[in-house]
Amino acid sequence: MMAICTGCSLLCEDIEVDFKDGRISTTKNLCRKGLGRYRSLYTERASPRVDGREAGLDDAISRAAGLLKEAKRPLLFGWSNSTLEAQSAGLDLAQKLGAVIDDTSSFCQGELLEMVLKGELPTCTLDDVRNYADMIFYWGSDPSNSHPRHMSRFSYYPRGEKRQRGYDEDRTAFVVDVRLSPTASMIKEGFFKLAPGGDASFMESMLAALGGKIPRLQDKKKVIAMVNTMKRADFGAIFPGLGLAYSMKGRMDILKRLVDGLNETSKYSVIPMVGHFNMRGFNQMLFEKTGFINRVSFADGVEHGPKQSIIEASKSCDVALIIGSDPISALPGGVARSLAKIPTIVIDPHRSLTSELAQVIIPSALSGMEAGGSAIRMDGVRVEFEPIVQGGGSLPDVEILKRIAEAV
Amino acid sequence: MSLELSIVTVRDIFQSEVQEVGRFSSEYQKMSAIIILDKGDTKTLGVADGGRLLVESSSGSVVVGAKVDDQPHKGLAFMPNSPWSNQLVSEETGESRIPEYKSIQAEVSTTDDSITDLSEILARMRE
Repeated sequence: MMAICTGCSLLCEDIEVDFKDGRISTTKNLCRKGLGRYRSLYTERASPRVDGREAGLDDAISRAAGLLKEAKRPLLFGWSNSTLEAQSAGLDLAQKLGAVIDDTSSFCQGELLEMVLKGELPTCTLDDVRNYADMIFYWGSDPSNSHPRHMSRFSYYPRGEKRQRGYDEDRTAFVVDVRLSPTASMIKEGFFKLAPGGDASFMESMLAALGGKIPRLQDKKKVIAMVNTMKRADFGAIFPGLGLAYSMKGRMDILKRLVDGLNETSKYSVIPMVGHFNMRGFNQMLFEKTGFINRVSFADGVEHGPKQSIIEASKSCDVALIIGSDPISALPGGVARSLAKIPTIVIDPHRSLTSELAQVIIPSALSGMEAGGSAIRMDGVRVEFEPIVQGGGSLPDVEILKRIAEAV
Repeated sequence: MSLELSIVTVRDIFQSEVQEVGRFSSEYQKMSAIIILDKGDTKTLGVADGGRLLVESSSGSVVVGAKVDDQPHKGLAFMPNSPWSNQLVSEETGESRIPEYKSIQAEVSTTDDSITDLSEILARMRE
């Protein structure tokens, strides 16, 4: 049967799955990461626990509700690996509790995605890229490692409606990175190697070249040639990754100036390389509801700001509900130690470092395989999916959240 | 012998695959608890591929395995993004509240200690 993959925000919809004795026996079209996600159906699954001991599901849900009810400043964090339906239930719960709610975009692609959602950066769909783009720019991104089918399904290799010759003749690509990544090694002639943190000054050089000035760096000829090629393109797509997001934080106005400049003579779009399968879904939903994409408190109306970020909330909140995320693994050690000190409820299909330290663990069905729902792909396209296997007794995230909300 | 290095965290598809399958697996540790070094830097340190290195930043320390890179990048090292690299990342985040995941300054030295395992990292969280 056909299935989708929730391994990353490409949400590949062409996965072929065969079964034997009720278990998945073979799959086709999965990348390594997706295969890992499918294999995880049968590995390191979570089971209900309360205060370090095995418990029934009802007990775990009731204890979770009790902790959240007693909390003065609860934090609800994660959401990037949850369906839109679960995210909606999570927002209802946050409002009911007057909680702080934040997601993983708070420490990765949030700034860029916010600019896209606000219309400050023009964007397009990945299907537009496949069909029309003749200029591809991977900036601080390495799809070979992060989104393995990005280049083959959409951005570089495939033939599209107006790009019948694919990468051979119809597409030019550039890569900017601090290392010769696997992606850069495929596009060596278009590779620009920067020193760590050098993105802003490189971008200023491109702006200079765009304005007909001589850029102030060693590779000036190469930069001028690149910018001239970019100006001649019909349809360009820029894919900023975490390398750009971290190097340019707080200075994205330079990227906006560059994209605006390129759009004076051509058509350029930006699609941030969102990692988790439905991070964009959460950001869009919260944005539509509050005008902010992350870092919101519902304690007194709608408050937004650094105090509501996971980094600060880990220190200021007194109970945390973590869903589909492993912040103890993902946060700096010092922040993770603060988070580990407060009572934590984990809703997750799998064991994680966060669940090892949690007071309450509620196992959930694996979205995309055991649970259906919908999600927003990295480019804003909505994808719906049905479960393909039985949940093995675990409830979908949305059901767990609704039951907690009923009990608080 | 020790060296001051800048560390940039990176994504690795092979590590991502085993991370999906099991964070507590030995494969995940093997692919995560590593530091990828310039060949010249490994000679200065006197460490071979697979040798153990103590990596210390102002925020924390871990013992990881050395991996020698074919590409030259003297003074710069790479680590896959993982709980190991995150022990080195500062909790000081400035106005953005975004940690410096890709800008870690660390001192790297050879050691006889064994590679830091996840139970040790969890124990630090419980302190």
